[in-house]
Amino acid sequence: MVARRAEWKDSAVVSSPPGVRADLEQVFRTAYPRVVAVAARVLGSRDEAEDVAQEVFLTFGRSTVPAGEALGWLSVAAAHTALNHLRTGRRRASREEAATRAATVSHEAAAGGGEVVSPDVADAVVTREERRRVREALARLPHRQAVALVLRHSGLSYAEVAAVLDLSPGSVGTTVRRAESALRKELNRHASSD
Amino acid sequence: MRHPTDGTLRRLLDEPAAIADADREHVAGCPYCRSGLAVVQQDAALVGAALDGTPDVDVDAGWRRLSGALVAEGSQVTVPAGPGRRRWKALRSPVAAVVGAAVLVSGVTAAAAAEWLPIFRAEQITPVVAPRADLVQMPDLSDLGDMEVTERIDLRQVADAAAAKKATGLSVPQVNTLPRGVTGRPTFHVVGRVSATLTFSAEKTAGTVASAGKTLPPTLPGLDGSRFRLAAGPAVAAAWSAGRPMPALIVARAVPPTAESSGVPFRTARDYLLSLGVLPENVASQLRAFSGDGTTLPLFTTIEKVTSSATDVGGVPATLLVPRDGTMAAVIWMDRGVLTVVAGSLSADEVLSVARELKVER
Repeated sequence: MVARRAEWKDSAVVSSPPGVRADLEQVFRTAYPRVVAVAARVLGSRDEAEDVAQEVFLTFGRSTVPAGEALGWLSVAAAHTALNHLRTGRRRASREEAATRAATVSHEAAAGGGEVVSPDVADAVVTREERRRVREALARLPHRQAVALVLRHSGLSYAEVAAVLDLSPGSVGTTVRRAESALRKELNRHASSD
Repeated sequence: MRHPTDGTLRRLLDEPAAIADADREHVAGCPYCRSGLAVVQQDAALVGAALDGTPDVDVDAGWRRLSGALVAEGSQVTVPAGPGRRRWKALRSPVAAVVGAAVLVSGVTAAAAAEWLPIFRAEQITPVVAPRADLVQMPDLSDLGDMEVTERIDLRQVADAAAAKKATGLSVPQVNTLPRGVTGRPTFHVVGRVSATLTFSAEKTAGTVASAGKTLPPTLPGLDGSRFRLAAGPAVAAAWSAGRPMPALIVARAVPPTAESSGVPFRTARDYLLSLGVLPENVASQLRAFSGDGTTLPLFTTIEKVTSSATDVGGVPATLLVPRDGTMAAVIWMDRGVLTVVAGSLSADEVLSVARELKVER
């Protein structure tokens, strides 16, 4: 491993690598939190989301995507990559489940302590367990639906989502709506079976 | 008028201005659509809550990591291939800072003899700092003779720390607390011993010296055709990569470089090499200041790109290297005959913290 270490040092010493776009750092500093947030919506873990963001920026760094389109490109790439991670199970399930158990216990303790749970589903507390189910359901959605959903909830406009997914803005609403409906059914199905 | 689609209702929540006036007015006056809108709104809110959770991110740490990965992307370890100089080049590139450096000060000794005698064994590391322009001028060993790689780089991944130890005899250090942003389990890698033999050629050396605009000093008796054995390794490493091309953290231990020759003492050999005039003067003067017993490994670093500073790890002197662009940090030290490196796309403090908390089974 001396070899790799030495080579790494050498290469770090010599110069910036060729072929990396000059505006990378500027774009990175502006867009990194947003890109991590997109991936975190899919994966539910900051660490994993940061891994995805790194992967995406590595690709972006070698690309010639116009700077003006960078944020959209990065967001959609983060959503795609994170969904792929989700689907291929490249995740640390055990850690997630441990966190879920802890959250479920505390949630149940809170509920048992007499807290009033709002009857309005929109205001209801979403437990870690529910978040996990949502991500499982996300993994089962058609890819484009899942990407549209994640991007929309990451703050991209309908026009932006439409542009990156090559849809009409009108059909973005339909796609997002279908995804949300599917996820809600998934949550309700589990809620009623608990 | 027919009812607007669910998709239109959905967009009405987010971008009402984008919805046609006729549709908006219809929804406002249609109990069926208002009811539909309420369901759409509830689902959107529920999913939004489930997907929420914008994490705090450390942009500086992220940038360091990315920069390190980009730098590394262009420089994967190449397995030596082909004969002669090309093969040595492939070897030299990865191990340049280690084997090459040791040999430059120690590898050229006089008087071929029947037995191999150790003339160099790295016991300490000292940075040699020079402008990049000077360092790239430094001669390749194959400019002084014929290199033959006798044990090629054999880098491979092994299952775990136990397998790494079995393959190399070196324990893999255990990291107590991973720095922030470094996740997952490490992969373990081993490199076998790497060695090469240099057969000194007065003719080649004369050519190298001449191309540097110098004149070859009188060759010491018996030097031409004499041979030098250079070796380093084996080594073990744990790398935390988590699917990235370049690890966020590497912890490695290696048997440091050695050189063997015959007859002439280290100091004589070094003085001969320095007298060739092929090393930049500022590099030569730093090498001259090394102790004369052949135990100091020079760590060449470019003054423009890297800051090197003295530190300590568990009371042992260590060298901290930080590129001026702050993309990574590395600390390297020698303890009980083993070279240890902790490096990563991390800050200097993080690297030092990992280094100082390492546990090594003896």
